[in-house]
Amino acid sequence: MKLLMNASQINGLPVVTVGGGEDMAEVRDVIYSPEAGRLVGLTLNKRGFLAGRRREVLPAEAIHAIGRDAVMVADESSLVLPEDAPDDVARPGTDRNVVGDDVLTESGVSLGAVRDLALLVGSTGEVVGYQIEKAGGGSGYIPLPAQLAVSGSALVVPDMTEEFVRDDLVGLGAAVDDFRARLGLR
Amino acid sequence: MSDSFRHTVGRKVVSRASAQELGVVAHLLVDALDRRVVAVIIGRGKKARLVDWPAISGFGPDAVMVGDEAALRPPAEGRERHAADGKLELVGKLALTEDGNELGTVDDVTFDAQTGALETLVVGDRDIPAAALLGSGSYAAVLDHSQEPPA
Repeated sequence: MKLLMNASQINGLPVVTVGGGEDMAEVRDVIYSPEAGRLVGLTLNKRGFLAGRRREVLPAEAIHAIGRDAVMVADESSLVLPEDAPDDVARPGTDRNVVGDDVLTESGVSLGAVRDLALLVGSTGEVVGYQIEKAGGGSGYIPLPAQLAVSGSALVVPDMTEEFVRDDLVGLGAAVDDFRARLGLR
Repeated sequence: MSDSFRHTVGRKVVSRASAQELGVVAHLLVDALDRRVVAVIIGRGKKARLVDWPAISGFGPDAVMVGDEAALRPPAEGRERHAADGKLELVGKLALTEDGNELGTVDDVTFDAQTGALETLVVGDRDIPAAALLGSGSYAAVLDHSQEPPA
């Protein structure tokens, strides 16, 4: 099953083993590649209130599924030490964080600032949009093309993105395919 | 004959040799991969004792019969110790799909009293076939895709 979630909704979810029914950790943060528009992994906290950080990370390839209530993994071996993890998970670049970045269209109109990521989750995690703080106030969601130019302080989206600003995740879900189809036709 | 986890709680465990009551059922330990009851747990915590399924001569509606007192043993370290502390009790566990979505709480489990094979997990108003069970532990009972509610 696929569903749309904000990255901030994934933070704090328990990481549970499918075969063991044990909660190994909880999600601390989402690591993703803005250029590839893809979730590359998750950083982890220990379970429990104020229990602190776990050194291990969860590479995207080791995720069985992300759902509304839990991140599922095969077993404890899915959690790996940074030195055993792929580079983009172990050492995400410092410019990875797009939250707060200005969203500019190709013709130079600011749509607002990034507040959160919208991910299509299931057996994988794909970043399909951003929640933005609109320049005129209020928040909205914009769909993303599969690839994107990101500088560290701003990101550039196609002009037609402006027509696809939606109020909520449901609206975004309906807009993404349409948006990408239109991009493909240009 | 079909029995249910809830109904077994508090049932007497009786020695066939002496006709003495050796204790009462606290809960049942399952092997989620085999989808069967593997042991009966009597008491809780330090005083807990375990009866392996093959040592049960009759799992009846009024009493669980064992050969004699020797059928009771202390739990081994690890998983059995956890179980004795009540942490692995299937009834009351969160039911979670392998897709990471909650279905509710496991309210009861039915099983074949002859073989120990699990039959269904009762989650709210749903009877989930035991074949859908993928794993169970201290946090949740994990069920396969077939139990995913429609979006």
